[in-house]
Amino acid sequence: MSEHQGKKKWLELAEKELRGKPVESLNWKTPEGIEVKPLYTAEDIEGLECVNTIPGVSPYVRGPKATMYAGRPWTIRQYAGFSTAKESNEFYRKNLAAGQKGLSVAFDLATHRGYDSDHPRVVGDVGKAGVAVDSVEDMKILFDRIPLGEMSVSMTMNGAVLPILAGYIVAAEEQGVSQDKLAGTIQNDILKEYLTRNTYIYPPEPSMRIVSDIIEYCSKNMPKYNTVSISGYHIMEAGANSVLQTAFTLADGLEYVKAALAKGLDIDDFAPRLSFFFGIGMNFFMDIAMLRAARFLWAEIMSRFNPKKPQSSMLRTHCQTSGWSLTQQDPYNNIIRTTLECLSAVLGGTQSLHTNSFDEAIGLPTDFSARIARNTQIIVQEESQICHVVDPLGGSYYVEYLTNSIVEEARKIMKEIEDLGGMAKAIEMGMPKRMIEESAARKQARIDMGKDVIVGVNKYTIEEDLIDDIREVPATVRDEQVARLKEIKSKRDNDAVKKALDAITKCAESGGNLLEACIPAMRARATVGEVTEAMEKVFGRFVATTQCISGAFSSEYGDSEIIKSIQKRTEEFMNREGRRPRILVTKMGQDGHDRGMKVIATAFADLGFDVDISPMFQTPEEAAKMAIENDVHVVGASSLAAGHKTLVPQLIENLKRMGGEDIKVVAGGVIPPQDYQYLYDAGVAGVFGPGSVIADTANRVLNLIEQK
Amino acid sequence: MSLKDAEWYVQGVLEQDRKILAKTITLIESSLPAHQELGQAVVDRLLPHTGESVRVGITGVPGAGKSTFIESLGVMLLETGHRVAVLAVDPSSTRSGGSILADKTRMERLSASDVAFIRPSPSGGTLGGVARKTRETMLVCEAAGFDVVIIETVGVGQSETTVSSMVDFFLVLLIPGGGDELQGIKKGVIEIADVIAINKADGDNIEKAEKARKEYETALHLLTPASSNWIPPVLTCSAIEMTGIKEVWDTILEHRNKLTGTGELREIRQKQSLDWMLSIIDDGIRDWFYGKPEVKKKLPKISLEVEKGLKEPTIAAREILFTLRKENKD
Ligand code: B12
Ligand SMILES: Nc1nc2c(ncn2[C@@H]2O[C@H](COP(=O)(O)OP(=O)(O)OP(=O)(O)O)[C@@H](O)[C@H]2O)c(=O)[nH]1
Ligand SMILES: [Mg+2]
Repeated sequence: MSEHQGKKKWLELAEKELRGKPVESLNWKTPEGIEVKPLYTAEDIEGLECVNTIPGVSPYVRGPKATMYAGRPWTIRQYAGFSTAKESNEFYRKNLAAGQKGLSVAFDLATHRGYDSDHPRVVGDVGKAGVAVDSVEDMKILFDRIPLGEMSVSMTMNGAVLPILAGYIVAAEEQGVSQDKLAGTIQNDILKEYLTRNTYIYPPEPSMRIVSDIIEYCSKNMPKYNTVSISGYHIMEAGANSVLQTAFTLADGLEYVKAALAKGLDIDDFAPRLSFFFGIGMNFFMDIAMLRAARFLWAEIMSRFNPKKPQSSMLRTHCQTSGWSLTQQDPYNNIIRTTLECLSAVLGGTQSLHTNSFDEAIGLPTDFSARIARNTQIIVQEESQICHVVDPLGGSYYVEYLTNSIVEEARKIMKEIEDLGGMAKAIEMGMPKRMIEESAARKQARIDMGKDVIVGVNKYTIEEDLIDDIREVPATVRDEQVARLKEIKSKRDNDAVKKALDAITKCAESGGNLLEACIPAMRARATVGEVTEAMEKVFGRFVATTQCISGAFSSEYGDSEIIKSIQKRTEEFMNREGRRPRILVTKMGQDGHDRGMKVIATAFADLGFDVDISPMFQTPEEAAKMAIENDVHVVGASSLAAGHKTLVPQLIENLKRMGGEDIKVVAGGVIPPQDYQYLYDAGVAGVFGPGSVIADTANRVLNLIEQK
Repeated sequence: MSLKDAEWYVQGVLEQDRKILAKTITLIESSLPAHQELGQAVVDRLLPHTGESVRVGITGVPGAGKSTFIESLGVMLLETGHRVAVLAVDPSSTRSGGSILADKTRMERLSASDVAFIRPSPSGGTLGGVARKTRETMLVCEAAGFDVVIIETVGVGQSETTVSSMVDFFLVLLIPGGGDELQGIKKGVIEIADVIAINKADGDNIEKAEKARKEYETALHLLTPASSNWIPPVLTCSAIEMTGIKEVWDTILEHRNKLTGTGELREIRQKQSLDWMLSIIDDGIRDWFYGKPEVKKKLPKISLEVEKGLKEPTIAAREILFTLRKENKD
């Protein structure tokens, strides 16, 4: 039977099974806007440009290496860090003994933002969402008994990238390891910080200089080191779909390439050391296709610079399964989600992988949850026998078709970005952020409506299922760090530190390589905060402009009774009170997770609230002042980085002190149910955790406002 | 909200109590007649304490950098000992009538300061009203001792003409656009400008900004200035890099000195008082009319008929207005 006849036969059969409904009724439109049919056949991939290629050969659709996992499986690399360097070090060594292959350091938010642990703006942040590192002394403890000449270390650092990378180099030096031996990755991807991750320090222009200074320094001195990890993961976790993730990530990459070329570097001297980082979500085949499409597009993009080395246009990537897809409700389900995502990453051909813990939406992983997460990928790698064949889905009609669709859709967006003058310009104009936030608001609406199913959240829900083993980092970590800072400062040669810091300031002002300038300062025991400040004098500190889309939430919802009933309620409130219910949504401390806060703000406005949003990184005092000045009915603190027990009570105290005791306080975000009572006792009127349905949330907030 | 007596508000405002100032503004902005009445009583009593501030209105297309400009200007003024109040009138309301008030995110340092007061106000849902509310809010801020009051308004709709009718100085902020320099901003807005500043004159925009500046200067020459003593200058600035901000402020002061000297500033304020009275009357009539039970009952029905094309708009309007006449007879 020829294919054509076969297809006709199939159509007949299908329509019969559908009892007369057309097969098109089975089509599904993905969030990316790609129309997916129920059946793909050879004709769907005929003539597609990305089909029929060979792994290890440009355009690398089927993988950057010829033998892929058959030759060497992906690196199991779990991202972790918390509390003090000592505690994190112990955790790392335990994990390495249990089968983890590479290290990946998560720093705390104070460090990310270039503040020492004793800075007044970080009282709720030290050691909470990563490890606190104030100086080389901490760095040395962090890598104690971990041979830096052998271990590949990845460090997620972008804002304070200079003191941290310099500190790492000095720590290795003091272990007797020279720079050329260092293998690993520094994230050093500042563009996506402005877009989604929010741990920037300086404005874009000097920050881009820092990126290219690092590329320059490493390409000369650290040939085995990946100088930028161009990250789509954070873009996805902020709400982007797979096409947006692909387009924005590659556009970021292109921007770095241009910056390095502008510094006079040769493409082949740095491009092979650019690596990528993608996020893998629950749309199983889509993200397999995404990795394949990304490799194809990167080879295409790089070809315009005429590289000679094949490695220059080869996309190598780390992947992480989606934390966003994991739920607080019925949390053991998360192990299954992570397994699927792990499989998707591996079938897509990742070079290394982090798999999340099932307590993701509750707090940092415990020893137990970290073990299960690690074993998830070990089992896939060592038990499932999938490593033997390269790109086993190559030739799958559906996967090839999806790969091609992503290539086409992402190209359109990249073209738009080029027309705006490149990614840096596009970010400045707010275009990508708007698209991500709109995508996030729509996603939230689909979940709330039950259109997108999340088991345990909007389907097959169970009564509260608490897990009582949670990791809590005590507030005393900050005291420990502060004491150590004092000690370091008392023991070092302060004149030498000052000289080294002045040299950094001068280099910032008048040119030279900033990484080179930072190494002596870190060697002399300058702190992360001091080095950051030495440059801040020249560069200033970047203040983000928060924009917020409106209308996306309600438009995705369409004509809905629930939405209308809340709109009616806010309308009635206005008729009764003379104004709309007014809420201030605020982010305190260095917590940069703003997806939830944006979703709440845009949805509440769509429901008829007046929504004030504060700048990021507020102190409790600043937030209280704004609440009083704007005379809101309620302040909502969105807290995801474990600062809630410190910062929310302080907000309430400040409100009282300033005469704003009539203003209600609610908290949302990643707050372990165990902490609810603590917050209620401190005067919080309502707590809204992950998975809160917006409509319920809005009604509950209205109830609180209405009860005087 | 639970109401206090007028005295509580008046005293609080005069004592520069931030919370009471905020509550007073809420009262003034309220759409409830009882609140408005009380609010007006408060304003009446505060009026003797007003009039001493520099009143600046700022308009420009969305994203022109108004809020960022105010942050830079405001911080500069704080450093020289001023007390700055900022009123941001935000028409960015959604279809639901709710709104997102994000201007303060661009005024980070100013909003953290103890001697500055920033109040974003939603204009969504209220008919007219914005003018009365903004003006009274401005006066209350003056009574609370703020010696510079800046009003931010987006250059769409009618809000900018309204705002220009209550300030001493009206600044129009533009950005260097690609070629067509009259980017969306209405000609009428240019006509009421006391200064035009081309913002975002930084980075690779500097040349474009200078070019735009020259073009506007030429365009302005073709207009007859509102005062023979003041030809609106065209400047460039960068709110982000804080360049040219002081020059704008110096221009504001120069304008003030000149027009105080010629007596025009007083005249302007007198004329504004008259406008104010007329607009209060307008608002009053409007509220009174739309509040009539008869009108309330008939209007929705008749509106629907017009919408559906079942009735001519002229006839419908006359019918409604006729109700009024009929009512007045008895
Ligand atoms: C998305 C995400 C990110 C994104 C953030 C993108 C962005 N711009 O927001 C990225 C990838 C950049 C990121 C980075 C980091 N993350 Co993160 N991240 C998450 C994740 C997976 C989901 C959060 C989310 O956005 N959910 C979707 C939104 C819609 O939900 P939500 O915020 O919970 O909001 C809902 C409710 O909580 C409530 N709500 C929230 N706020 C408010 C406010 C009001 C007024 C009301 C009424 C309701 C309300 O309503 C919302 C709707 O239901 C969580 C884990 C998880 N599954 O929750 C980790 C998590 C928050 N991240 C974590 C960490 C540690 C980090 C890092 C600090 C890691 C590091 N050391 O580098 C970085 C740095 C980020 C920073 N600058 O702060 C930890 C925090 C640990 C802790 N609390 O102890 C978590 C819990 C993961 C984990 N278990 O390790 N992250
Ligand atoms: N390059 C540059 N960008 C600026 C300047 N001023 C403002 N911006 C940017 O322009 C964008 C809009 O700035 P806002 O201050 O919010 O503009 P606005 O006119 O108040 O906007 P709306 O209130 O939304 O109408 C932000 O991203 C600012 O960072 C400037 O002088 N130079
Ligand atoms: Mg503004």
